[in-house]
Amino acid sequence: MTKEAVVELDSWRLAQYAFQVPCYVCEGPNQFDAELCRHCCAPMALAQQSRDQKVQPRLVGTIGPPGVGKTVYLGMLIDMLSRQMSGLQMLARGAFSVSLQQSVIAALSSCEFPAKTPSEPDRWNWVHCQVRSPKQRRPVELIMPDVAGDALLEEVDHPNTYLVIRKFLTKCAGMLMLIDTPRVAKGAAEQDFFTMKLLGYLGELDAGGGLEWRKRPMALVFTKADQCEDCFDDPERFARMHTPGLWHHCQERFPTHKFFAAGVVGGTAYRQTRQEGRVRVPLRIEPRGITQPFEWLVQSLR
Amino acid sequence: MSQLRSIGMGSASALMFVVGCWQNVYSFVGTGAVVICFALVRALNEQAQAGGHWRTAFPRGNGSTPSAGAPPSGWRHLVGDAMATNRLCSLGMGGASTAMFAIGCWQHVEPLAGSGAVAVCFALLQAIGTRNRSLAAGMPIELTRSQSAAAPDDTSGLVDQMVSQARYALLLRQEIVSNLTSRQITAARRHLNAEMTLVPTGEISVGFTSREPGEDNNHADDDRESRGTVVRIERFLLDRFCVSNRQYQHFVDAGGYEQMSIWEPDIWPGVLDFIDQTGSPGPRFWHHGRCPEGLEDHPVVGVSWYEASAYARWVGKRLPTDPEWEKSASWPIQLRAANRPPRRFPWGNTFDPTRANLWGTGPLTTVPVDAYPAGITVGGALQMVGNVWEWTTGNFGAWCVPTQDLILTAPARSLRGGGFDTYFDSQATCQFQSGEDPTARKHNIGFRCALSVCDLASEDIGMSAPEEVAEQPADEPQWQDESLEEVSA
Repeated sequence: MTKEAVVELDSWRLAQYAFQVPCYVCEGPNQFDAELCRHCCAPMALAQQSRDQKVQPRLVGTIGPPGVGKTVYLGMLIDMLSRQMSGLQMLARGAFSVSLQQSVIAALSSCEFPAKTPSEPDRWNWVHCQVRSPKQRRPVELIMPDVAGDALLEEVDHPNTYLVIRKFLTKCAGMLMLIDTPRVAKGAAEQDFFTMKLLGYLGELDAGGGLEWRKRPMALVFTKADQCEDCFDDPERFARMHTPGLWHHCQERFPTHKFFAAGVVGGTAYRQTRQEGRVRVPLRIEPRGITQPFEWLVQSLR
Repeated sequence: MSQLRSIGMGSASALMFVVGCWQNVYSFVGTGAVVICFALVRALNEQAQAGGHWRTAFPRGNGSTPSAGAPPSGWRHLVGDAMATNRLCSLGMGGASTAMFAIGCWQHVEPLAGSGAVAVCFALLQAIGTRNRSLAAGMPIELTRSQSAAAPDDTSGLVDQMVSQARYALLLRQEIVSNLTSRQITAARRHLNAEMTLVPTGEISVGFTSREPGEDNNHADDDRESRGTVVRIERFLLDRFCVSNRQYQHFVDAGGYEQMSIWEPDIWPGVLDFIDQTGSPGPRFWHHGRCPEGLEDHPVVGVSWYEASAYARWVGKRLPTDPEWEKSASWPIQLRAANRPPRRFPWGNTFDPTRANLWGTGPLTTVPVDAYPAGITVGGALQMVGNVWEWTTGNFGAWCVPTQDLILTAPARSLRGGGFDTYFDSQATCQFQSGEDPTARKHNIGFRCALSVCDLASEDIGMSAPEEVAEQPADEPQWQDESLEEVSA
């Protein structure tokens, strides 16, 4: 037996549902209380913060092949910038922006690497932050997602598979492209090819209008450089020697680029675990060259 | 083969010169003189280059044992002599060719004047080349020896030199101390007391891991996970400070990289790889065998485990073991009922950013070895935590509990203490252990040395001279005397 009840008509709620909130990344319409964009799965909190605080955050991408260290680099960068008292400083906006930093630092402090980022966009961590630089009077608002490498690979090979990646990269103001140094030093060419494919993909996005990618800054970061000390001495020379295709591509197509070297750990080993089997673990955390690419990128943003 | 060629060229040109003079054919004279000059330059260059071969031909230098305290020797002196000969020859050649030019001008013999001019140029080039090679070898241009060394029969000078090189531990060994005067013994012991701290006999729980309440513990059944392995340690001495660039400079200057007897045999072929930025033997970040200016008191970095080990042998010490290092840093208190948990840091269980040079608490580079005095251990050692990681003798992973068994792709040596860029203070505790390839020469890894008390001579040898005791500075702290007595006992 059903019990009849009288429900009040919340006209203000109906009015809110009638108003569509555009996603900050894909600009698709969403309901006002949506948590994720129904088109691209980007968090709607980005759009709400932008609207409430009347700021237009700029998008900065951190991309690279799977396993290159995007999550570790991004988490470490955010933690370092939010801890340091001088130079570039970062303040997270919104609780969701702290999740990436929290998971990465919790793992590294106990000598483990964070779990692999899942390919599903609704499970990615997004960071909305305010960056203050002593050289710039106004703080810069930035949005940086931790995109899964597998999803990137899929989108590059089969465009439009991940709408969020395509829309995000189209709107990006600058890019941090990560390259796996130990693999490059071993002579494996797949890093070179994958990075060139990504650059080619970015070039295709120019057809959609907006600022051409050749005018946007791109920091190319050799990660895990602690395993190849030569890379720290001269990253540009290292790129010319070991990734000639990428180096030439950047010279021709991306005039605003610079090579960097970065490392988070001071040594690695393997550990046999009951659940996951053999996993790589860091022996100690000693970040090096993490903030320099980001500082250069922030200064180069137009 | 090339020497034969030079000799042949020299002889032919000399013959040409003589025939030219005899028959008054000035073109013969001029050509002969020029070729003689050329042959001379060539021969001298070969002589200078031979310095590199001498280095490998006589790798041991004069000292067959590290305790012999032999004057520094090796390829530097040989190259130095070659350079000196080169400079003298350049001067002679320059004078002769200038004279030839002058005579040619005076007698209006144009070929002779031309030849003289060419020979002057050769002499100048030779002089410039010699100067550049001298600079590359890091040696002064003057005709002096690269390092003042005590004469072999000058025992007093030799002892003073060894003390100044921080090799006092060698002097205090049983087999050497009987040959020294009481003044020399006192001087050596004073240095030992000032530069090393005594760690008493006792037990230490190595591999101790403290768990916070509620922390995930899937292996609570493993008893070793929480208590570690108890190790008994005999008393020993540990350097109060990390080895500084200044101290390591003595080792490099004395030809430590050529004395194969102090190096591990398995690294002999690799010693030639231990070079600095300019190709000279020395730590990785040095130039021309010299430490960077202004960093003399900073800890030496860019040295492999093998270099650290060789230095320790050269000064008559050794690297500390993991339990020794941990005991001197945490200074555990032993009670009859049960051992108290060791300190996490030399000053207590809570991290204090004013006491150690880590990431976020310091300048993100090394600091002098005596900085951060507030971080001193109970025994009196500084910077056991922070500034640079320290090599120990142990293998990495040897003291891990079974559930933390690591799989290493290559053998690694143990590192302790954390460096200036260590990000988490939880990875710079007295108990934390990291590892590194023993041949790695990183920017944040240094070392300090240890010495077993049993390796020192007993106190009753030459220690009763009252006049030497009176030489001790009046302002020296009393505790040092007590510690000295303890070491002697």
